[in-house]
This record gives sequence, C-alpha cells and structure tokens, in this order.
Amino acid sequence: MMSSITHLKGGRVIDPVNNTDEIKDLFFMDGIIIKTPEKNLESKVKEVNVEGKIVFPGLVDLRTHLRNISGGQAENIKTVTAAAPAGGYTTLLLMPDICPMADNTGTIQYIQDRILKYASIKILLCGCLTKEARGESLAPLGSLKENGVVAISDCPRTTQNNQIFTKGVEYASMFNLPIIELPRDRSLSENWTAHDGPLALKLGLGGFPRIAEELFVQRAISVSKSVGTQIHLSSISTCGSVDMIREAKRKNVKISADVTAHHLSLNESSINDYNPNFKTSPPLREEIDRTALIEGLNDGTIDCICSAHQPFQEHEKNVEFDLTPAGVTGLETALSICYEILIKENEFSWKNLISLMSSNPSTILGQANQQLVSGNWANIAIFDPNLNWNFDEANRISQAINSPFDGRNFTGKIIKTFFKGEEVYGF
Amino acid sequence: MSNYFLESEMESYKWNRKNLLGIEELTPKEIKKILKLAKFFKKGINGDPIKKDYLKGKRIVNLFMEPSTRTRIAFEIAAKSLNADVISVAEQSSSLTKGETLRDTAMNIQALGADAIVLRHSSPGSPLFLSRLVDVPIVNAGDGAHEHPSQALLDLFTLHERWECLEGKKITILGDILFSRVARSNFWALSKMGAEVTFAGPSTLVPKQFQSMGAKVCYDLREALEDADAVMLLRIQHERQSSSHFPSLSEYTNIFGLNNDRKKWLKEGALILHPGPVNRGVELDSELTDSSQSVILEQVSNGIAVRMAILYLCTNSEYRADK
Repeated sequence: MMSSITHLKGGRVIDPVNNTDEIKDLFFMDGIIIKTPEKNLESKVKEVNVEGKIVFPGLVDLRTHLRNISGGQAENIKTVTAAAPAGGYTTLLLMPDICPMADNTGTIQYIQDRILKYASIKILLCGCLTKEARGESLAPLGSLKENGVVAISDCPRTTQNNQIFTKGVEYASMFNLPIIELPRDRSLSENWTAHDGPLALKLGLGGFPRIAEELFVQRAISVSKSVGTQIHLSSISTCGSVDMIREAKRKNVKISADVTAHHLSLNESSINDYNPNFKTSPPLREEIDRTALIEGLNDGTIDCICSAHQPFQEHEKNVEFDLTPAGVTGLETALSICYEILIKENEFSWKNLISLMSSNPSTILGQANQQLVSGNWANIAIFDPNLNWNFDEANRISQAINSPFDGRNFTGKIIKTFFKGEEVYGF
Repeated sequence: MSNYFLESEMESYKWNRKNLLGIEELTPKEIKKILKLAKFFKKGINGDPIKKDYLKGKRIVNLFMEPSTRTRIAFEIAAKSLNADVISVAEQSSSLTKGETLRDTAMNIQALGADAIVLRHSSPGSPLFLSRLVDVPIVNAGDGAHEHPSQALLDLFTLHERWECLEGKKITILGDILFSRVARSNFWALSKMGAEVTFAGPSTLVPKQFQSMGAKVCYDLREALEDADAVMLLRIQHERQSSSHFPSLSEYTNIFGLNNDRKKWLKEGALILHPGPVNRGVELDSELTDSSQSVILEQVSNGIAVRMAILYLCTNSEYRADK
C-alpha cells in the first residue's frame, strides 16, 4: 500500500545551504522530502496550509545537558526530545556531564540504548575529553568515537592543565573529533556566582571576570594554531572574546564559536533581585558584551547559537543564589528569542539565522547539513512569526522549570516540527 | 498593646515594609523613623519609665547560620527587652546539619508560629530569597558580603548622637571593603543621610568599580584620613580571603594599620568606629581602640536600641501583600 504524502503549502521556505528564501510548496513521503508528486497521486496528499509561516530545516543544538537519562522527575531523554521540537530542534548534541559521565564505552553504549528506546528526535553524543571531566587524564577518545561519539568536551567543566588540553586536542584530531571548549580559567573564577562587575560588587556576589574567559579563548587560539586543528569555543560571553576570535579568524586560525540565545537577550541587570533562573553558565554580562556578541554573529565571527539547555528541578534550582547551580533551560525559547533580537531588532535575515542554528552547528559536528531538497530526511520546522504566546506552564513541555523567560510573552513561535516526516510537535 | 505612645505619635511610626532586607531599599525618611524610635527605646533602657510589652506574645526566631557574638546577643536582648519570646537557632544545632535546606528550615519555623525571623547567612540575597517563601517578616542580620542593615543603622545612630546632622560630613571606611557587608550597608546609610563616603584600603580589597555606586575610592592612607570626620575600620577577614588579596597581616598593618603616629593625620576630634570584632594591633592599635576618640563600645550598646526599633517596626507593619 502506498504511503500518504504531506504537502506543506504556501510557506516561506528558508534553506541556507541551497540559498533559498522563497514561497514554495514542500512534499514529503515516508520521512523523505520528494519532488512535486504526479497528478495521479493527488488522492494520497495530505495538505497542510502554511501560508504566512516560515518553513526551514530542523535546528541543531550544540549544547544540551541532561544529568539523568533514565527518567523520573528530572529531565530525561524522553522529555528533552519532546521539549526540543517545540523550539524547532530536530538534533541535539548531548553533553557528557551525565551521571555516570560519558567518559567510557560502557556508558556510551548504555546512553545509546536509552536513546534508541526513548528519543523522538536525533541525539548526538559528546564524550568527555578527560576521565570524569576532571582534567587529569585523557578519556579513551578513539574508543568513544567507535561507539558513536561525534565530539569531545569536558563542558560544563574546563580542563585547566595546558599539557592535557593540548595533547587531548592533538589526540582527538587523529580521529577527526571536534573539540568543544567552554573557556574558563578556574583559578580566576573560583566561587563565582555572577559577572565580575559593578552589580556583583554591589550585591556582594563572587565574580567571574571577563579575563577568566578570555585567557582560555587565547589558549584555544594558540593551541589550535600550534596543533593545526579545529577547536570550537562554546557559549562565549565577553566582548574581548569576540575581538580575539575575530582577529584569529582573520589570520585563518581554525577556530569557531557559539553563543547562547539568552546571552543575546539578557544582561547582568537581570540578577538584581537574585532570581536563580538568571544564574547562567557563563554568567550574563554587561550590555557592551551583549551587543558585541550580536555584532560577532552579524560579521561571522561567531558561527552558531546554542540553547545551553541545562535542566534542573525546582528544589535544586530554587535555593540561595550562590548555592544554586549555574545553568538555565533554553530549547523551547531560543528561536523565539533570536527572532525577536536578531531578526526584528537587528535586521538579520532568516537565512542567516537558520544557518546559525542549523547548518553551521551541523558543519562543526561534521554532520550532513539539513536541507529542504528531495532525497533528504524531512526534518522540518514551521514558525508562525505573528503568533502571540506566553512561555508558561500551559505551553512548557520541558520537565524543568529553570527558564529565565518563565512567564514571558513572545511574538513568534514554532507551530509544527517534523522529524523524519513524523510530526513530533504541534502547537 | 501599651499606651505609652500618644495616638498621634503612633501615626509617625507606621511602617509599610514587611522585612528589613537592606539599607539600599530604604528612603531617608524611613531611616530617620527607625533612628527616632531607637532614641525613644534608648531612653527607656537608660532608666526612663518605659512599658516593656511592645513585643509581648511575639515569637522572634534568631536564625544564625554564621558565627556572631554582638549581633545575635543584641537582637536577643532587644527582643527580650520588649518582652518577646526569643528562640535562637545556630547552624550547628539545627537540622541544616542533617541536610535540610534553608528554605525548608524557614518554612518549618513559620509553621511553628514565628512572628519574625532574624537571619544571618553567608549567601548574599538569602533574606530576600526567604522573604519570597514565607509570610513572616525577615530581618537581615548580615547576608554574605551584601548587607548588614542593623549594623549600619546603629553606626548612624552613634554618629547622630555626636553630630545631630550628617549632611556634608566625610566618612572614610578603611580595610576589606570587597568582602564587607558592613561597608556596603554603611555606604547606603551614610550617603542617604547626606554624608560623603570614601572607601580606602589595598586595591585588591577596594575595587575601583565601587565608584559606580557613588563612593570615592582611595589607596593612600594619609589622604583618606586627613579629610575624614570619622573613620570606620573594618576587620581584615582572613577566613574569607585567599592569599592573593594581600601578602600578610603584618604587611597590612605596615601599610594600612591605624596607629598613634598615623592618628596625627586625622582631624582633631575625628571619631573612630569599628563594627567588631577588632583585631587589636592589626587594623587598629590597641591603645586607639580604647581611646576617647573611639566610639566602638557605644556602637555596641546602641545596637540594642536600634534592634528594638527594627523588631518593633517589622512586627507591627502596615504592610499588606498585594493579593
């Protein structure tokens, strides 16, 4: 029996890889995008009217954390892969700070097994650079790759020892494994709770100074130059980091970077009343940093936008500000935030935004880009730019509550997401 | 309720806040109101007839999660002087050692019928955090390096007794400003009363960024002392600083310690304050601690009257949550 064909009719289709931004129809069948079907198949076609909506390849996140993969109250593979498509994501890179840590093949196999069982979208695995991400000895990177790991990182930790980091980069390059580094000098940011600036000083909070990030951005640039391999900097947050990366790229150093969606939208003033949902990793910084990050995206210095989704349960997150773990959720709101800040306020093109959130992250992970041409998987997200909505309990899908945008009103929302042709989200 | 106040006078003690979380949020008018009431209570302590039942039947819980002598005792005496029932809980004797969170501890204290919680805690912002969770008034008795409002109020009270008016006075706060809640609260209190505040000490403990709050920052001891009408010394808190902030206590004493020689740089009659505990011979010479210019013990005794006022106002607040 012949399968049915889905017809996305009249949408504005954005496909940066094929340089497309036009009103056109899309068809897919059995999970695969197909050409306009023959007249005789018309009876099989299920039409979805998407006029006035934006249609683009599913987004790819370079930084999703889960500390629990088995279930229960905490965010897990099932809940995170239900939440992510609500933000247009069809691929997530799962960071290795899971319990147990993704630093050995047994754990990787176990996670793969859970993914097979529970994931409704694609989850790629990031393995540890060092054992238990302690920064003391290298994890078995080659074996991790054999078991399906596509990138290496100690994120949200950072290997402090320069010898181990450099050798790790060198060793990973043998396997073509991209290294993802969250730049942070621990000695300069011990006991940090906020950006080291006037506000933290007033509030009596321990500071994470810009220099603690920038020294390690410089380290990554130097190591990349010396080893001759790509290093990806995750979640950069300071204007100085943007400058250094811009300069390094000008000299053709193989460095790439991403920024979180919340760092594009918020600055340190949000922590003024010690709301734990604004304690991010790295911290929210000053307005000059926020605008520099947007400028960095605009001129190509920063390659991607990530969600840095770090789910916590209410009782874990809602404690004293210096004791609350750093990290916020982001998968469901990242695109709406970026639409507001980048497209509406800063005149980014849709093509640019979708490359920053879909094709560029895929390229960094060495994965095939999502494209909206026949023969590709139908991993497709549909966005209504005029839909007014509240990010509240009624609309939230993630099991975690620690979003800085809790209760906020947005214009523009993902209304449908397909993964391999299956509708994995519908508003 | 006592009839000691005239009805009209009662009016002027109306208080619209549920909590006392810090000085930054107070208006000069509110600060003056606290000081005025403290003055009234102090007269009572010193022998004037004062009815003692202002807090009769109220349960005040002192929740002290950090060591404290002066503040805890002063709050206890203040509450007892007004016939409140006082329960003091220290971290070591509470269920916090069994892993209970601050939040659960506070909810339980509320459930046990407390009328106010006086909180000392190492986390900046913890009183605000608690105030969102419980309906009981929260009095901040020091939260990390953020604020210590009752200390700043008693310092103001002490200066007011000497000077009547603080407008235009110059106060130097000297020492470890970075980790000091006393410095921050005093900055707000003094500047709201019209005084000019200079933060002085080693650059590693007095970041220039304090200027953005409106304080002057000075690294030259002589310059910082010469102009001052009062100098407030802060304890060098070895337990909080890593060795990177200054080389040693003796180096600190050499460069920033206040001794008899350097006292000559001060104006005649300039006052010396210290929130305690004093490290004698480190930030302040022992002799100066006990000198006539020092008001350190006055500060301590004034702490009782000021805390009586704070407890009275917070437990008799007109505050109604918007519901």
